[in-house]
Amino acid sequence: MNELTALREAGPEAPALSSAARSAARAALLTEITGPDPVRRRRPSRRTTLRLGAAGVAVAAAWTAAVVIAAPDGPGTPAGSVTLVDFAMPTFPLSLDPVPDGLRPAFDGYGDGATIAGYDDPAGEDGFTVYVDDDEPQQRPDDAAENEVSATEEVTVDGEGAELVRYSRDWCVGDSPGEDCSRRSYTWLTWERAHDQWVTIDAYGRYASRERVLEIAASMVDRPQPATLDIGLAPAGWSVRAFKMGRVLTLVNDAYEQQEITVHVPLPQDVVPADQVLSSTMGAIGPQLDVTVHGRPAQLVLVDTGYLDQRGWYLQAQFTDGTTFVLQVPDAFTQEQVLEFAEQVTHNP
Amino acid sequence: MSGLRVHAAARRSPDPVPDPAFLRALPSALPTDTELITRSVTDPGQFTDLFDRHATAVHRYLGRRVGDLADDLLSETFLIAFRRRAAYRPDHVEARPWLLGIATHVVHGHQRAERRRYRVLAKAAGQPEEHGADPADATDRLDAQALRGPLAAALAALKPRDRDALLLLAWGDLTYEEIAAVLDVPVGTVRSRLHRARRQTRAALGDTSPLHDTSEETR
Repeated sequence: MNELTALREAGPEAPALSSAARSAARAALLTEITGPDPVRRRRPSRRTTLRLGAAGVAVAAAWTAAVVIAAPDGPGTPAGSVTLVDFAMPTFPLSLDPVPDGLRPAFDGYGDGATIAGYDDPAGEDGFTVYVDDDEPQQRPDDAAENEVSATEEVTVDGEGAELVRYSRDWCVGDSPGEDCSRRSYTWLTWERAHDQWVTIDAYGRYASRERVLEIAASMVDRPQPATLDIGLAPAGWSVRAFKMGRVLTLVNDAYEQQEITVHVPLPQDVVPADQVLSSTMGAIGPQLDVTVHGRPAQLVLVDTGYLDQRGWYLQAQFTDGTTFVLQVPDAFTQEQVLEFAEQVTHNP
Repeated sequence: MSGLRVHAAARRSPDPVPDPAFLRALPSALPTDTELITRSVTDPGQFTDLFDRHATAVHRYLGRRVGDLADDLLSETFLIAFRRRAAYRPDHVEARPWLLGIATHVVHGHQRAERRRYRVLAKAAGQPEEHGADPADATDRLDAQALRGPLAAALAALKPRDRDALLLLAWGDLTYEEIAAVLDVPVGTVRSRLHRARRQTRAALGDTSPLHDTSEETR
């Protein structure tokens, strides 16, 4: 018996499809076919609006979509209370030694660890991104029509065969797609650094020379790096759903995936003045409470998220260096727990 | 590919008996899946026939992955399929793999529920099991029972995309090419995911059972 046969013969069995379940699924399909009943449509998520309004970053939209797709009528029940416990954030598995020009990376990843490290200078003129994956990259620079490949070369990194591609594409900084663009040159390098560990570097600006990219590749060491945005506490039974750009972190209740916590560091231009937090928070159902986090004034508002009848806390606070962060947690947290949680949030850009 | 499909179907566990409505629908004059999907773009009601044909198989695949939650996800799968029917490309993948691919993506929203289920099953496998009186297949049953817990634990430990590839192969009976099409990855990536998933599963089973590679390695 091989493992495929084992899976078929001894793997988990499916429950039988009952007539009732079959009829219900067919009826739902028929309803979709004949046109949606506007009365039964779920209200647009106010949390969605709130996230988009407060965050102002594209990643929030992607996450909101993920939440909506993840079945609003999913299993489990929302937590009515939480117990905060010590929590260790997932790490990025590699470090650079030395780190070029002292750049500080921002990480993207999911619950099982970061997979992307972005090393960008503050002006966004020079930098590179490191991707780590179990699989060989599915997309190469020449797969994208907008990319213009100028050279492809076989090279070696630590004795391993690697593929290096030089290409250019538009880099746009305007508010709308295709606005305020200029052509930017990149160098892309990928290789299997270890078994089931494919590393890809995509560099631009002064890091885009062939020599510089190979230098970066050779400097990689197996030293995990902590996330940029970190939390020291989390509710027991919750885990990391995703973290993005070193600025956004989402936790999810493992027993009820529609219940989330979001920690977000808005861009400076998106920070809401302290005296406008209440008026700019959609779904506020309580007054603005003036509290203290990290020894600085913070604003706390109870909100109706507009999503599955969930209520939550919206907290705008600051780190000790004055950088603003926003916390959105369910009202399963007591007011004291919101502050206790917020006190443990750190940001090391 | 069709030869492989026939061979694969012949040696695998049979699917649940199709619905009576489907048995009646076997005469060749009836439309193919592709025809149904194509027609449903202008005549949406035709899509219910696709549901009647494949609901049991899709539910079985979902049920093995998420248990009772399959009832809800079956509905979600067909709703998504219906909304995407205009983008369906029969030259890319056949209807059943297409539906199982959608089901796989739907399961992604419930990965924790899926993992929980495997862990619970792994624990429960340690408990004594009640059997009927017929001893005819007692040996096979004992073999299967010994594998049940380690298998469930192995599935819980796999990375989601490796698990997707493995279960589309093992439970969905998809070919490598079909898995690549529905997961939208190159076939080479499917091969590496399956290689990894099978290696890890084999390692997790350890000495529980002698395992051998089969011709499916090269499908």
